[in-house]
Amino acid sequence: MSDFPRPFPARDRDTAPFWEAQDNHILQFQKCSQCAHIRYVVGPLCPECRSFDFGWIASSGRGTIYSFTVVRHQTHPAFEPPYTVLLVEMEEGPRVIAQLRAPEDADVGIGTRVHVEWEDHEQQSLPVFVPEA
Amino acid sequence: MRDNACIVGIGESAYTRDAESPASVLSNQLRAATNAIADAGLETSRIDCLIPSQYGPSTEELAANLGIASLRFATTVHMGGAAAVTSVQTAAMAVTSGYADYALVVTGWNGYSATRTRNVLASNTSVIPGGDIARDYYMPYGLTVPAQWYALIARRHMHEFGTTAEQLGAIALAMRRHAQLNGRAVMRERAMTIEDYLASPVIAHPYRLFDCCLETDGAAAVVVTSAERAHDLAQPPVRVLGAASAHPYPADDITNRRDIFETGLTRAAPRAFAMADIDPADVDFAQIYDCFTFEVLQQIEEAGFCARGEGGAFVEGGRIELGGDLPVNTHGGLLSEAHVLGMNHVVEAVRQLRGGCGERQVPDAEVGVVTGWGDFGDGSIAVLGR
Repeated sequence: MSDFPRPFPARDRDTAPFWEAQDNHILQFQKCSQCAHIRYVVGPLCPECRSFDFGWIASSGRGTIYSFTVVRHQTHPAFEPPYTVLLVEMEEGPRVIAQLRAPEDADVGIGTRVHVEWEDHEQQSLPVFVPEA
Repeated sequence: MRDNACIVGIGESAYTRDAESPASVLSNQLRAATNAIADAGLETSRIDCLIPSQYGPSTEELAANLGIASLRFATTVHMGGAAAVTSVQTAAMAVTSGYADYALVVTGWNGYSATRTRNVLASNTSVIPGGDIARDYYMPYGLTVPAQWYALIARRHMHEFGTTAEQLGAIALAMRRHAQLNGRAVMRERAMTIEDYLASPVIAHPYRLFDCCLETDGAAAVVVTSAERAHDLAQPPVRVLGAASAHPYPADDITNRRDIFETGLTRAAPRAFAMADIDPADVDFAQIYDCFTFEVLQQIEEAGFCARGEGGAFVEGGRIELGGDLPVNTHGGLLSEAHVLGMNHVVEAVRQLRGGCGERQVPDAEVGVVTGWGDFGDGSIAVLGR
């Protein structure tokens, strides 16, 4: 397998505040100042009402597993299988992707409630999901 | 589309899995292009519209190599695996509107000996529309290839509708059985049982190895012209009765669709069937873009061949095999013939409608459907008739 570095998000003028908050262990979403639509992924315009005005709201960090995959075949040198990636529907509405951190025998599936914890990397802190006790 | 465009020429290169293959992408595409032009019985200089794929040689390079001095219209469709069918749609628009007379649509890559998808995406996500989203929101968590992205949709479908591994396996088996009747298929003479399928290693749950399309080298091409011009050519014309392309919403993010099963095809298929004045039940065969088995099931549902959630039952019992109600991918598809970005599906549909498929011929085939699936669910569909 070719030698590619681990991928990290590329900050730009629109997304930098989102990634900076993650470095402070805050998962946040944009909330439209005009129509209150909460949006994710990050973008400059509200697709519901076309307003450029928005504020940031902090997520509770809690959500429910909407779908998942268990990767067993390596496709990137930076990610060694097996690992489980979750698509989690957060309490605020958006669905967020991150890896699962749980014991191998944990009973985890669609509908399981999870919360965000953080893993720090030099380039970027990234969320992981942990099952609720 | 009352004044139908027609597909009048088809051509392919060899389809291979050979790491030492001497054939470049350019030479494979030129092989497919010259075969398609010869099949049509056309002088190459008559080609005045060129629609090459986003992968491989440009319009400029192909035109120079083919000795085409004067193009009236050229463009490239950036819709990944949906592009082959959308390119045929674009060619149809060009030749029926008077902007061009004879359009050459060519697609191909060296997907085995050179362009491994996993390596392309690891080095540059901008090759796909929506690539910035993949780079920022999927790749950092180890979702680096389409099998892993789409697995999230497939797993949710299993949860909501009870779709089973055996049903996905039925799709893989149908493609493999059809490939046994196709001398061009890479997987000919490699028969597969449901036990083989279930024993194949998990790539990204719920996808096993045999849920995943092949990586191959090869190219395919078609020539499109107006119905009026088609009658002077060598082959019986295959009419484009209807064609449509569309995107899911949002188009650039798989994960935050309100309806996660929506694809471009959800919107495109009713338009294409209405344009063709054809009901899905009247279709004799379907060549469905089969990047993975579940995407075939999903497109069968979204195209309206059955209701949402019924795709699992639909693909059982040989219904999508030759002799069944709706034979799917009679050439073996991307899963068992070759991965030519869906242009091999167009070629096979034309071949079926000409009646030239030998032992895999669908008897009396009059109407067939070809679909495309691109990247985050872009969709395209053509309804073809003889």
